[in-house]
Amino acid sequence: MVEGEFKIVFTGPMGAGKTTAIAAISDEPPVSTDVVNNDRVAFDKELTTAGLDYGHIALADGAAVRLYGTPGQLRFRFMWDILGNNAAGIILLLDASQADALVQLDAFVDAFGAGKRSPIVVGVGRAAAAGALPLDAFAQRLESRGLTLPVFGVDVRRRDDVLLLVDTLLCLLELGDRRTA
Amino acid sequence: MSAGPRFGRVATGVAQKQLEALAQTTPGVVSAVLLSSDGFEVASLQVGSAGAARLAAMGSSLSAIGSAIAREAGIVECTRMIIESDSGVVVVMGIPDARPPLSLAVIAREDCVLGQLLWAARNCCVTIARAFRE
Repeated sequence: MVEGEFKIVFTGPMGAGKTTAIAAISDEPPVSTDVVNNDRVAFDKELTTAGLDYGHIALADGAAVRLYGTPGQLRFRFMWDILGNNAAGIILLLDASQADALVQLDAFVDAFGAGKRSPIVVGVGRAAAAGALPLDAFAQRLESRGLTLPVFGVDVRRRDDVLLLVDTLLCLLELGDRRTA
Repeated sequence: MSAGPRFGRVATGVAQKQLEALAQTTPGVVSAVLLSSDGFEVASLQVGSAGAARLAAMGSSLSAIGSAIAREAGIVECTRMIIESDSGVVVVMGIPDARPPLSLAVIAREDCVLGQLLWAARNCCVTIARAFRE
């Protein structure tokens, strides 16, 4: 198994559930930098992350994971770069009920090195919502670009769903280690 | 991408005048941006629109992280942050009780007198706060 301490970054557009996902699995209440959201047109919710989220989990096999969440809006792009630096892996969360979810998929995958710098696992939420894009659409979009990244349907409020994303990322890291060993 | 929210025209006008007054009366002030807590420019001085948008987003991240650190350290409320380098100073200050929550970011040259800058920026914040409460 993988050992040591890992930095994992949760990213994705506004309202995809990054803060919720970190809160669902962190051993301690996460540090959050939520502020009043004035842009209700972009996404109708009360609060939004302006700085970062931070949480921590100790895994059963002795590995520890530091969890960082980015802000979702493009104007906070500089925080993506700051937080993405030295990340062992990226968890990209998307909202299948948003009309531009596939555009967001491309944008975030590109911003975080298209899986070449560090592995990316994609978690798609609200796939059961009316009019939502099917899960396949996300995998096909990646395939059309020659990318094979794991894509899961998730409810980020569920601890097990979020842990599935983290476990998958750790498996990819372990595979990567074996290949380079 | 949306164009972002609109803020009250009267209050924004007052804020713009206050930023101009701050720059005129305080030696060393280079530019300033009044920003919302979620990173939108409300008013700005001498930075250009792209610069103001970037500074607004960065200022709001700093503000949010400053507040989180203050909470973590048990000193509760972060009221201002000072970034100093050999060639200048950036001050980010909360506007007390503004609705929506706002901060002021001021950039000054290294030859400014920090105490004077902080005092002037504070006064500017208080006047802006009044405009955004009415």
